[in-house]
Order: sequence, then structure tokens, then C-alpha cells
Amino acid sequence: MSEAVTTNTYTHESAPTKRYRITFTTSGPLAHISVLDLGRVWERSLRRAGIPLRYSQGFNPRPKIQFASPLPTGCGGAAEWLDIWLETPWEPADIAAALKGKTPDALAVIQVNAVPESDPALSEQLIATETLVLLREIDLKSVETAVTALLKETTLLRPKRGRRRDKTYDLRPLIKTLEVETAEAPWTAKLFMRLVAQHGATGRPDEVLAALGFKDTPRRCTRTRLILGPQEDK
Amino acid sequence: MHKTDLTTLNTAPISWEAIEACLHRVKKPGRYVGGEYNAVHKPWDETALHVCLAFPDIYELGMSNFALEILYDVLNRQPSILAERAYLPAPDMNAQLRAAGLPLYTLESYRPVAAFDILAISTAYEQLFTNALELMDLANIPIRTADRSESHPLIIGGGHGTFNPEPITDFFDAFVVGEAETIILEVSQVIQENRALPREAQLRALLKIPGLYVPSFYKTTYALSSKPGKQEAQNDTQTTTIQPTAPEAPQHILKRLESALPPTPIRQLIPNIEVAHNRGVVEIQRGCTHGCRFCQAGAITRPVRERPADEIADTVEAILKTTGYEEIAFLSLSAADHTDIAELLTRLQERLAGQHVGFSLPSLRIDSFSVDLAESLQGSRKSGFTFAPEAGTDALRRRINKDISTDDLLKIAEEVFTRGWRTIKLYFMIGLPGETDEDIKAIADLAHQVRKIGFRLGGRKTEVHVSISTFVPKPHTVFQWEPFADRETVEKRQDYLKGAIRGRGLRLAWNEYTSSCIEALLARGDRRLNAVVERAWQLGARFDAWDEWRDPNAWEQAITEIGIDLDHYLYRRRDETEQLPWDHLHSGIEKRFFLKEYQRSQRGEFLHDCRSQCHACGILRNYPDLWMEEWQCPKP
Repeated sequence: MSEAVTTNTYTHESAPTKRYRITFTTSGPLAHISVLDLGRVWERSLRRAGIPLRYSQGFNPRPKIQFASPLPTGCGGAAEWLDIWLETPWEPADIAAALKGKTPDALAVIQVNAVPESDPALSEQLIATETLVLLREIDLKSVETAVTALLKETTLLRPKRGRRRDKTYDLRPLIKTLEVETAEAPWTAKLFMRLVAQHGATGRPDEVLAALGFKDTPRRCTRTRLILGPQEDK
Repeated sequence: MHKTDLTTLNTAPISWEAIEACLHRVKKPGRYVGGEYNAVHKPWDETALHVCLAFPDIYELGMSNFALEILYDVLNRQPSILAERAYLPAPDMNAQLRAAGLPLYTLESYRPVAAFDILAISTAYEQLFTNALELMDLANIPIRTADRSESHPLIIGGGHGTFNPEPITDFFDAFVVGEAETIILEVSQVIQENRALPREAQLRALLKIPGLYVPSFYKTTYALSSKPGKQEAQNDTQTTTIQPTAPEAPQHILKRLESALPPTPIRQLIPNIEVAHNRGVVEIQRGCTHGCRFCQAGAITRPVRERPADEIADTVEAILKTTGYEEIAFLSLSAADHTDIAELLTRLQERLAGQHVGFSLPSLRIDSFSVDLAESLQGSRKSGFTFAPEAGTDALRRRINKDISTDDLLKIAEEVFTRGWRTIKLYFMIGLPGETDEDIKAIADLAHQVRKIGFRLGGRKTEVHVSISTFVPKPHTVFQWEPFADRETVEKRQDYLKGAIRGRGLRLAWNEYTSSCIEALLARGDRRLNAVVERAWQLGARFDAWDEWRDPNAWEQAITEIGIDLDHYLYRRRDETEQLPWDHLHSGIEKRFFLKEYQRSQRGEFLHDCRSQCHACGILRNYPDLWMEEWQCPKP
């Protein structure tokens, strides 16, 4: 029996990984689709590229792909991560090459890296996200005033989403950083926010905007950074 | 260059920032942004002709319409033509665009729809008519042809609804009657050659295209009915004549037909959001030989043309490569009819084993062969199996020429539940010609019998979903002379079924009478209905097929204001000698064939599938030169 274990361990350690991490961006049209939609876009892009995804067993086999964190509808991404699991080992560079021209224009692959199969899921490592929001049709002063006022609050009770709308949650502790800057036309202000993103405690940029009173203000949201546990302090 | 300075200005794309500023205020913003893989982006200035293909309903439906997919491909394969798409925004985005002063734009280049040379709007079914007006209006295009000039796009309609487009002749410059693959290129050519001419001359030039109906060159006159026994209702008139007003305009417009099925588009558009049918499509067959007497689609798409199995197989593989789709649907009116379907599916599934590709057959018959086929589809989830018996009794099914007996249906239901499906969907119509209370009771009995079979063979979790639609006698069918059932009858029968089809494992869905009534009015209407359509639209009628958005009051008010007699349009049996509003449009099937069939229907006689024996419907007679091996018709 011990011999069998040894053999297993040996196989496990020497086998090349079949898990890869794709760093990608979405913008323009693709900032306005849901994370479920983005999953389908990725699945089809990978299939077009001829990359052999690993499918689950069972009646309704699904490819094994995992985002670090769902990108909210209305938000683009400047450095998103997707983990994919393949049937056979590939060179990361070959994956990137195969994907060329196979994704919609608004989805760009930045980098592909091999990841040990045993690494925890990205969603488990994630602790925070950073988002840039460009605002227009509102003057900088008003944004600054609203931000200052909001940061003075110790609690910010907001209704939960979906079926539990009658319940509230506190948004304030989920806001780690919130800063205002000037922006280039046509934008009038730029908001930088670092929000907690952990299981059961995820701050959403649109919630922060709503809490600031900018629910109706035209904006462009881009998630600029995903922060994993060990690298929190930059 | 060919346009005035003013309009050149208006051809500039709308900025992304302007569109983006609307998006956070609407549901499903992915509908309004384009960016789909396989969308075609061509340089505006380097293409001679610009065509906008529009589906006047929301994106999710428009992206699932395969006719537009085909035309997008046909047009964009021409180097000199650019084709882009537009759909009708949902009311929330519509309001945002109007508030922002933005016109409707295409999803490829975000250019105003009004900047295009041709605007082709799908008129696939009657509930799209008011939406078509809304689409024009949102594009800042005058809805009436009389108010437009050559500086506006030429607006053409196409799809099954054009087999009676009379209620919308004031708004469209021309209609494609029949298959559009070739006509759309001919129209493009004529417009390109006659760009400098006034609209009237352009329309005249279009008259030379066979299968294109230019309604402004036809005049209708209506005379008072002389039917005895009828009170002198002012509107109770009959169409007496539809006369061409130009020598070039043909008396009859014979539907355009493609001899062989044109190739299926390979680089199919991949929506970025979930849509009604999110999958690749291969049209395996066009037309239908079953001859159901209520079915307009079956009649107007004849003859049956099968796509050869090898071509289908190659097309499937090519589509999978260019789309990444995980499912391919075999489009046809009756997939199990294709000669090689079983062998083809086996071959494809073997060849694609391990690639996680599923197939779907959207329209199956009620027979063992179809159950075998459905079961052979690997990876199919066996969620629901659909039967469309259409009527409750054998006798009524004989009248409508639906070849299935209750006994056989129950046997097939046993097979379906035995093989592991959990749900059977049953589709019926009420208001069919000659229908009695017995037929309605039989629908409920059938539902209960099928449910019992489900419980016995598949357990207590099996379900039977019954869907009841209201029969609309459509033009160019055997039943085109029949009246539409009145409200009292339909609602009484619906109420009976609501009471009878309930309980564990049973679900019932039905259509609101008013909605079917508007569909029937438009399907059977003549030119006098243009005023009603326009008024209903002015009063807010939109999305007539949508429960949450339609406005029956707008229609009722429009009908009252314009003074339309519903009895005349809906509730009388039309005389066999009467000229019907759509008689100048010819589907290729002869009226005398329909009449013979009508008599057979009244005698309760069945007419079998015409694959085995030709019943001389008229197709071979009207298209003697187009016959090909792929036709399921005997050689003429």
C-alpha cells in the first residue's frame, strides 16, 4: 500500500500541470455583459481556438474554467484572471497563440501562465479589488463633497440584492479606499476604489456609486486590479 | 458624395460615449452594444451600398432569427455591399435614446439606421407590424412612404408576413414575396444603379424584379357587399379589385423560389449575451410535405428541398470551427422527414465524439422514429419532448390533416416516458373549423391520459405541459376562407380547459383572446387597416406579442376610431368567389388546390404526405424550370 502511495505522489509531482491562468482585459461592449455571459464567451473562444478544455463528468458536462471574481455587469476589466483546466498539457505561449483572433475584439489576452493543479481556487485567494470609475455630467466639487461625507460615515446600510432585498448589509467596512481625482473630458471626475472581495463580503462599485448618490450618473467602470492574499500590501 | 451635405453629416457614427451614457439605466445593456464575434465590419466609405437588416423586436429574438443571419451573409459576401444589423430596443432603452436625442443605430458601426441606402425589416409575423413603425420612428425616418424621398433608406419587408402585407402597404416601399437570398442582391443592384433618381423612379425600376411587390403601383377598390340578410353595416364591404397602375407591374406576384437551398452561413454571429436560440444552425430542409391544412409556413415554403447529407456534415464541422458553439440545431419544419437524418446524426456524433457537441432537432413528428432520433442525440438532457397533436380527436385531426391517432399518440407517449423523458409538452389549437365541445373535452382527456402514463412509467415527478393557442385562419392556407372564432366561444373553451387541466403534474398555458384577435385581423386584413395600424401605434401599441408590453386598449381605440367592422374581417366565412385581399400574391400553390382540400376537410378526408404521391398543389406547374434532384417532388 505504501508503495502505491509513493507511486501516486511521484506521478502527481512529476506530471506537468494542465491548469493555466489567463490574464485578460475586457472593455467596450464586453463591459456590459454578465459574468455568466462572459463565461460563455470564454468557453466559445477557447473552443474556437481548439484548446482541449477539461469537461466535468455527468449528464450535463461543463468545461472547468474559473474566474477569480465575477466582473459586475457594466464593468470592464484591465487585469482579470481566468483559470482553465485542459485535457493535455500545453505550452502557455501556445495557448496565447491559439487564442489570437478567436476572442471578440473587446476581449484581449495579456498573458498565460501555468499554475500548479493543487493551487487553491483564485476566488479563495482573492481579498480585494480595485476599480476606476470615470464620471461625467457632474462637477468635481460635488464628487469630492460626496466622497468626504461618505467616508465620515461609520456604517452604510444598503439593501441586499436579489431575493433578499428586504434585508440590509453594511457597505462601509467593505470600502478600503475611496479617492477622487480630476479626469479628462468628456469625464469630469475619476473615482478610485479599493473594495473588500472575500467570500460573503464583496463590495460592488455600483453600490458605492449608489451610496454616493450617483446611481444615475453616466460612468465608465474598469476593474484595474485583483488583489490576492499574500500580495495585499503593494 | 451622392448625398447632400446635410445627410452626409447624419451618416457619422454615434459615439461610444453617447451610447455608454445610456447603458447603466437599462436592463441587459449587452443588447445595445454589438461587439459579437463574427460580426462583419467593413469600411463605410469603401463600400458602394449600405444595407441595414433589422428585426423589429428585442435583440434576443432578432439574433435568433435565421433569415437575417442568411441575408447578412449573402450581402456581406459582396465586396461592394456593407450590411449591418439593428433590433428594436426594449422600452427602457427606447426611452433613453429618445431622451438623449439619439436615433436608432446599427450594432456594427453605431451609425444611424437612417444613413443606410436600404433598410430591410423582417415582417415575419403580424405582431411585428407596429414594432416596424416604432423602429422607423426611432430611426428618425418618416413612417409613411408618402413622406419619404430618395434621401431616406428604401424600406423593404420580408418574411412570412409578406404573404399578406396589405395592412402595412403605406409604410413599406416594397416587399419580398418568398425567398430573399437572390432578390436582396437584385434590389441592391437596382438601388445602386438608380441612386440619383427620385424615389418614384427607383420604385418603378424595382418592378422588374420577379417576386418583389411594390404596393404603390397597385390600387385597390372596395365595393359594398350585396350579400343578402346582412344589415347595412357601412364597412361590410368586399375587396373587389387589386389593379396594377403601371404597365410594368405584374397582375400577380409569384413567390420567389431558390431552386436549391442556398449554402448555410458558416461564420455565424455569436451573441455575447444569452438569446432565445443560442446555438449554431444548419437549415437541413426547407418546406414541408405534410400538408396540415392550418399551416401557413408549410404551404408557403414549398417545395421541400433537402440539403444533401454530406453538405450538412461538412457545414456542421465548419460552423463548429468558426463559432465554438457547443450545440447545433437542425432547422426545418419537420426534421425527421429528411431522408438521411438518422444516418447523418450517427455519422456526425461518431465523428465529433469527445468534442462535447450536442445536436437539437427543433421539430419532430409524433412517431417512434422521432423518439429514436431524439434518443440518439447524445448529451440531450431529456427534459421535455414536444407533441403537437393540434386537436383533441381523431375526427378533427383528419379535418386539419394532422396524421396521428389518439391511440398512436398514447403509445408514443409510453415510449417517451419509458425511455426516461420527464415532461411531455402537448400543443393544441382551439377555434379550429368544425370544432365541437367534444373536441375540447378530448384535449383535457388526452392531457390526463398522458399524465397517467407518465406517472405509471416515469414516476410522480413527470409532467404534462399543455399549451393552447387560438387558431388564426391564415392567408394561403386551406382554411383561408374560414372565420376566426369569436371571443365567447374561445373564452368558454379556455375556461373549460383551465378547469379541466389542473392538478399534480399538469400545467396549462394559453393566449389572451385579444392578442390572437389582433393577429387575425392583421393576417386577414386589407389596405384599409393601414390606418388602424398607424393609429394603434400612435396610441402606444408596441410589442404586440409580449404579455408585459402589449396594449390592447390602443388597438381597441384605434379600431373604434377608424371604424373597422370586425365582423367583416374576422367573423364571416369568406365566399369562395370573393377576391381575397392577398389574391394578387401567389405562393405557387393554386387556389383550386386549396379549394379541393377545403372540401376534403369538410368531408373529414385525410390527404397523405405528398412525398409518396404528388397531389398537384401547383408548385411543379408554377416553377417548371427550377426542379432539382433535391426536391421531394416528382420530376415534372
